[in-house]
Amino acid sequence: MKSLSTLMLMTLSWLSLASPALAQTKIGEMSLDRWAKMREVERYQLNIAEKYFKEKKYDVAMSEYEKYLSLYEQSDAASFVQLKWSLCLNNLRKQNTAIKEGFQSVIDYWPDSPDAAKASYLIGKTFVDIGRVSYGKKAYQETIADFPDDAVAVYSLSGLAEIAKQEKDETSLVKIWKRLAFDIERTKLTGGTCATAANSLASYYFGKGAFPDALDSLKTNYKDEQLAYYVYAYVRSPLGTLVGNEDTATVGLRLADQAVSFLKQNLETDLSTDELKAKAQTQWNQMIEVEKYSRRDDKVLAAYRSMLATFGNLDAIMGSLADYHVSQKRFDQARSIYRQFKDKVLGLSKVAQSYRAEANLNEAIKVYKQLAGVDAENAATWQGEEAAAYVEVKQYPQAIQIYRSLVASDALNSQKWLWALATTQRDANLLKEAIGTYRQCENFPENYRQMAGCHRALKEYKEALVLYGQIIGGSESMAPWAQLQVGYTFEQMQSTEMAIKAFQLCCKKYPKASYASTAHAHLQNKYKISVTLGGATDE
Amino acid sequence: MNLLKSLCKQKAFQVGAVMALVWLFALADWLWIHMLPDSVLHLVFGSITGLVCWFVYKQSKSRNEGAIIFWSLFSFGIPVWWHAGVYFCEWLGLEVFRAYFARGGLAVFFVTGLIWVVWAVEQHAQKIEALRRQAFNLENVLTRKKQKRSVDHKIWNPLDPDAWYYGQKSPRLNQSLNGFVSYTVLFCLICMILSQFQGCTQYYDLPAGGGENQAVQQVVKVQKIIRKKFILNPYSAINYNTPELDDVKLELNEVTAHRYTKMGFGEGDGAGFAGGTSDGTVGFVRLEYPGGDWNQDFGIGGDMNMLLKYAELTGQKVAKKTKAYSAAQLKTFDGVRCPPLLYITGQRNISLGNNDIKILQEYINDKHGMIFGDNGGSRHFHNQFISMMQRILPDVRPVRIPTDDPIHTRPYQIARVPYVAPHGGEEALGWFADGRWVAYYHPGDIGDAWADGHAGVSQDIWANCYRLGVNIMSYAHIEHAKWRLAQKQSGGDE
Repeated sequence: MKSLSTLMLMTLSWLSLASPALAQTKIGEMSLDRWAKMREVERYQLNIAEKYFKEKKYDVAMSEYEKYLSLYEQSDAASFVQLKWSLCLNNLRKQNTAIKEGFQSVIDYWPDSPDAAKASYLIGKTFVDIGRVSYGKKAYQETIADFPDDAVAVYSLSGLAEIAKQEKDETSLVKIWKRLAFDIERTKLTGGTCATAANSLASYYFGKGAFPDALDSLKTNYKDEQLAYYVYAYVRSPLGTLVGNEDTATVGLRLADQAVSFLKQNLETDLSTDELKAKAQTQWNQMIEVEKYSRRDDKVLAAYRSMLATFGNLDAIMGSLADYHVSQKRFDQARSIYRQFKDKVLGLSKVAQSYRAEANLNEAIKVYKQLAGVDAENAATWQGEEAAAYVEVKQYPQAIQIYRSLVASDALNSQKWLWALATTQRDANLLKEAIGTYRQCENFPENYRQMAGCHRALKEYKEALVLYGQIIGGSESMAPWAQLQVGYTFEQMQSTEMAIKAFQLCCKKYPKASYASTAHAHLQNKYKISVTLGGATDE
Repeated sequence: MNLLKSLCKQKAFQVGAVMALVWLFALADWLWIHMLPDSVLHLVFGSITGLVCWFVYKQSKSRNEGAIIFWSLFSFGIPVWWHAGVYFCEWLGLEVFRAYFARGGLAVFFVTGLIWVVWAVEQHAQKIEALRRQAFNLENVLTRKKQKRSVDHKIWNPLDPDAWYYGQKSPRLNQSLNGFVSYTVLFCLICMILSQFQGCTQYYDLPAGGGENQAVQQVVKVQKIIRKKFILNPYSAINYNTPELDDVKLELNEVTAHRYTKMGFGEGDGAGFAGGTSDGTVGFVRLEYPGGDWNQDFGIGGDMNMLLKYAELTGQKVAKKTKAYSAAQLKTFDGVRCPPLLYITGQRNISLGNNDIKILQEYINDKHGMIFGDNGGSRHFHNQFISMMQRILPDVRPVRIPTDDPIHTRPYQIARVPYVAPHGGEEALGWFADGRWVAYYHPGDIGDAWADGHAGVSQDIWANCYRLGVNIMSYAHIEHAKWRLAQKQSGGDE
């Protein structure tokens, strides 16, 4: 670990000496200058190879790149072509060959080309991808030492950070993040990597309760309003963890104070327009959200009071406060606030919801009935909610009655009510009625699936089989599932031979589906029958 | 004492004692000492089992007169039948039955002991109460009116239901519970001690010999013959048109170089491993873990096929049968001479305790072992295996093993990972640490392809599955042989 830290320091010192003129093109691309220098025939051949590469036909692309190399070895793009050939090998999962015969060749034959730096970085990355982490680390360090001015040096540093994270080497990790966040000049190619490192560093500092350091990290990426938003975004999770642990609770609370104070400073004070008001409300909500993560009830309530004093008794703010009371199981307080809503309908619906959350059905029903009267235009919706409340407490007959009346009265949403009715009938074990209702639904194949399930529960297996057959014929995506269910249904019918045939058919017709795997395992376990699903990855 | 002396003088008892001693010695030899040849063990276990059966049968005729003697004899017979069952199942390669015998026998043994404990406690309690009834004096009771139980002195004897700690309310029930709990705890304790005692070191020796870790050469020369096509071009001379792919006639000449290569590692006669022994064999060892079906395709007709194929394809000496060890048993292996490869399969849960995980960590890190996981039939097992590996090697991330990795190219070239069913995907995963693959995970039930019937897959697939099996076994053994040699040179355990 110590040696790793030393190496990291060495590589970091290399980077600090490096000039900020970082590289020019993305890993798999060649600069326009180089394209321009190519002859027409070369460009033509390379375009063919690139086309196959983009189409992910890597074996074909490889042979086209090979053709290019044999025809135009002296071309300026030869190093790039060699690099792309190696990337083809990488994608064909021949990474060892890609390293030895591909990337290394780019470095050996075209050491001064811009592709040599990329190849050097890709060696490290490929090593890490195939589990050779120690080799990867070494390759990254070599890349940083050999190409300090290139963007790949930054990528390599980021790769080293990943390794340090994997090896839980916190010291090295923080050093690398700091370097990436603060010391490296950001360009179009490296900006993203540096920004990610800065965000990671900020999260790390928040996790340690070091608010100023975290803020400094975020400042490298964001300014003004954006900065406040990202403080809010990144501080919450570490804050929750710190406060949730007895040993770190004090640190967490201090962090919460610092974060809230920072967010308070950045609150919009100009409330002259609606837009500014909305912006300010969002900022207030973010601040309160941070307070919620600190689990200090008094501070949360105080913040809401201040917000209400600033903006007046707006439904949105009162709703948020009441929701908070609900989350703290203070239902009565929440309801008293909901009832003060200017939008009476919304307020009452929230009251009803809170009764449902409390499992107080009678009161919820009363409120829904009141709502149906107050908001006659949406009476159907409130009746539907009433029925859903009945379903929640398994009072199915009342729910069914309401849904039936809705099917008859609300023609526009009849499908929605039919589905709700059918599901309720199924849950109430009125399977025959449920089948009839599902039949009227139009959401094939889901309704057929439910009907088949009901028929199986009624031991009407033949009817279930017919329905599964229709799913197989009519729905490509559900067909493997339905075929598997055919097998299970035959099993329930004690028709072993047919069940085996159905499972075998599932394996045969849909070998790539996960249901085929289930069928295969079932055949093996239950019947000791082997059926072919076998293959290899290139099939 | 007198009863014991009189028993000792009885001829039947003397014969029984001798038989018990011989049986115990044979048992110890089979489990730990490994001194007696198999034929002697067959004879001892077979004859003693037969004799016990005969004694029990004979006694059963006079069962009504001597019930205790009959049941005692029957009870002594239980461990004999249990161990004989395990022994002969193992000898016949009936590994699944061996496991049933081992577990079932232990359960029956436990219940038998419990019955005897209950009976003995009851007998003794009745005896004490009978004595107390004899000493009962009505006069005393009348004069003292009511005599409080155990007032004068506290009774500590656990066999006495009047012992003070059984309380006033239902003392007999408390006594029975005490007997049951004490017996169970003692039984578990003895089992734990014995399982630790299994720590008598086991050895896994590699077969002596040598060889190279080279790819079996198979060269396919492709000869392209492009048919010339002449077309008339109205604007120029006759032109050679670029042929369509269909017009390219391929002539495939397969030239396979059958060069004899000794497979193994190091210098030595015959295929094998430098530093191996003449008695050493390549084995196939699987982990017997709690929670799931570890024994999928185990033994003859299952993984034994793979072992035989390994012998055929490599020419190395292999064990007579495949083996299964629990984590505790795995721990008993020598620090160096331990199995290089541990196969884990199934389709349900892998329930390993922290101690088992430590043993597997030690197996990989200190004993240079390698784990070969095989998904026997579910996505659930895939998750179970990955999370098990996460516990064993928390700092190592699984990666997709390249197709040009030595494990996929030597001795056989495996272009693509063959599978029976893609239960855990289609890619083989590997855990790479300390310069080698420490774990290989096959997602698609390779064990099923090795088994009789080959799970119905085509010959290409199952033949490739065998080759992949050979590659993995060979890789693990070569890596282990290298490490053993290095240990030897650095004055290690050997």
